[in-house]
Amino acid sequence: MFNVQIDESASWQPGDLIPADTYEITLESIEPRSLPIRVSPLRTRVTGFLFPEAVRWTPPAPPAPETSADDGSIKIAEETKPKNRRPKNRHRIKPPSDVVKLQDRLYYLLQPPLDLLVGGGQLNFPFEPFPYQLDGIAFMFPRYACVLADEMGLGKTMQAISTIRLLLCSGEIRSVLLVCPKPLVSNWIREFQVWAPEIPVAAIEGNASKREFEWKSPNVPVKIANYELLMRDKDIVLESGLHFDLVTLDEAQRIKNRNSTTSEIVRAIPRTRSWALTGTPVENSPDDLVGIFDFLSPGYLQVGMPMPQMAAAAREYILRRTKDMVLDDMPPKLYRDAELDLTPDQWATYESAESEGVIQLKELDEMLTIQHVFELVLRLKQICNFDPVTGSSSKLERLVADMEEVAASGKKAIVFSQWVNSIDQMRPALERFGATEYHGRIPHKKRERVIEKFKNDPDSHVILMSYGAGSVGLNLQFCEYVFLFDRWWNPAIEDQAINRAHRIGAAGAVTVTRMLATNTIEQRIADVLEHKREIFDTLFSDQTTPVSKTGLSREEIFGLFDLRAPGGKKVA
Amino acid sequence: MAQTTELTIAYFTVVFDERTGWTGGLLVLNRGGRPVEFQCTLPVRPSRAHEILFGTTLRDHLIGEVIGPMLIKKCRTPIALVCCDQPESLTLSSAAGGVPVALVSEAAEMEEGPITSDMLVGASVVKFVNATLHVPVEHTSAVEEVAGRFVDLVDAIEPFERIKEAIKEAQSQIARAS
Repeated sequence: MFNVQIDESASWQPGDLIPADTYEITLESIEPRSLPIRVSPLRTRVTGFLFPEAVRWTPPAPPAPETSADDGSIKIAEETKPKNRRPKNRHRIKPPSDVVKLQDRLYYLLQPPLDLLVGGGQLNFPFEPFPYQLDGIAFMFPRYACVLADEMGLGKTMQAISTIRLLLCSGEIRSVLLVCPKPLVSNWIREFQVWAPEIPVAAIEGNASKREFEWKSPNVPVKIANYELLMRDKDIVLESGLHFDLVTLDEAQRIKNRNSTTSEIVRAIPRTRSWALTGTPVENSPDDLVGIFDFLSPGYLQVGMPMPQMAAAAREYILRRTKDMVLDDMPPKLYRDAELDLTPDQWATYESAESEGVIQLKELDEMLTIQHVFELVLRLKQICNFDPVTGSSSKLERLVADMEEVAASGKKAIVFSQWVNSIDQMRPALERFGATEYHGRIPHKKRERVIEKFKNDPDSHVILMSYGAGSVGLNLQFCEYVFLFDRWWNPAIEDQAINRAHRIGAAGAVTVTRMLATNTIEQRIADVLEHKREIFDTLFSDQTTPVSKTGLSREEIFGLFDLRAPGGKKVA
Repeated sequence: MAQTTELTIAYFTVVFDERTGWTGGLLVLNRGGRPVEFQCTLPVRPSRAHEILFGTTLRDHLIGEVIGPMLIKKCRTPIALVCCDQPESLTLSSAAGGVPVALVSEAAEMEEGPITSDMLVGASVVKFVNATLHVPVEHTSAVEEVAGRFVDLVDAIEPFERIKEAIKEAQSQIARAS
């Protein structure tokens, strides 16, 4: 046990914790200050564009809803329309680079894609256009100057008509002049009926007073004239105050020669838009393109411009597609070169004609002109077709043999020759194949009937055509065989001829037989052309360049007979 | 007759670009789908302060309260329906003076992902050509009537692409000028 005494006075007391004295500290009060951070309201500025033209595009009012019992079937049909299709690649109209104003650029950009117009029933198309054709329409629609240079058979006519139709519907244009070669006028009218049946179209024809009335008629928005007629009606077209919103030239290579009267008249037609259609924008030299551009935009291209520079300048204005580029399902084109030996009669005549001819040419010496050489070439080529004395022809023998097979298989063929006389000579042997003829001596009025007969008569297996009359604008895609009885100077013309058969809708592969007499002038020409074709193909491998074929130059023609061109160098 | 042909609808969308900002476009189409009027804004560039203070509501504010009402106010053509592809635009109806505003489901889904009915409370669905519209229930019958008169329109989703193309064109021209 502990007994502890606590001394209270010495002990720690609770009161000891409180200090006897205190300090007073005064603190200043905290006064917060507000710092305003103002966020300005977000604002924006607006730019507006009105397109009053849209009113004119308004389609007709929809038919009143039907309430009959048959309603269901109609609805089903509508539902199966390709409305829900959502293709990835739209065919939009893109403004060209020379359209600068934002309002104008937006006008084109804001249009519905063309594939919707076609699918939507606002513009009825008898057949669904190919995608590249919609691209062609989208290309032409906003352009005031352009060249549609698609290869033959891709439907330049349809693309031009559809674009004209769209422009007329949109109110952008009201008067159109279409100029084409005379044989194609009826073809254009027919195509307008197919692709734009609601648009009134008139061909300018008849006597002078009738033509004057037609030229001045404001009720027909599309007028079709041929090149020859333009010359006759020059005064009315140029002097009577006419103005066209659009002038379209078909087969525009007709104005490649800038100094020709046709070219001068065409360039002087008062107009706002200028389009050119041609499958062969360049036939002989790149300067041909200058001729066409003098119509589109005078001075834009110049003769002698370096080719790359010309190609770059023209690119924005030219659209060219070839069948290889756009048609995967186009039937093939098969070439067969029928290299034939002349008959003994032909040989004898040919050899004497050539040796005598060359001697005569040499005797002319300084007087020698290209015309003299041409005459000899033509005479020799005619002998290669038929012997002038006996009429024997190795080409005809071969043609008849081939035609046996064509007719036996129920097919049809086109035979092209440069001369109507040659056609006359081959006709008797081809009568039994139901031969029909289409050339310069067949009156225009009868030509359509000839084509109809050839197309519809099962016993008519062959049509004999001259390059001049039959090489452009005709659709003979039901033919599977083409015979070139003689060769044209220019491969572009041959291609035009071949493409009468090898075009959209062709039934099958098109076989092209090129007849050629070996060891003759024909072979020499063919060799030169083939060589040139190779050079061009190398030069213009870029698909956007609109040139591929050319004819023979002056020096080359002299060179065929190892002659010296006067004032020029000798060409071997 | 005149009234029938004058019936128009508007398409409205706002495009955001890191460099330029927010740009709105309003395209008025007639029954054939052709452009009658186009209004577009200059790009709006919110400041850093706007971004912080508006937070996640900035997009709603820009589309539904700044750009949309401004474009509709400036539009000179009377419109029967506004189609949009951004849900934020659905608030525009009051600014548009009661004109119905519809969300085009297929167009919205390209950015928003699937649009389901529970995402849009009080909305009904109306079929419009090849598109599905989400519409506030009070406007359902009005939108159905408009949709019934646009029989010539082929694609009710595609016009948004046109606005985007046009905005791109306008901006590139401004960029070239500056």
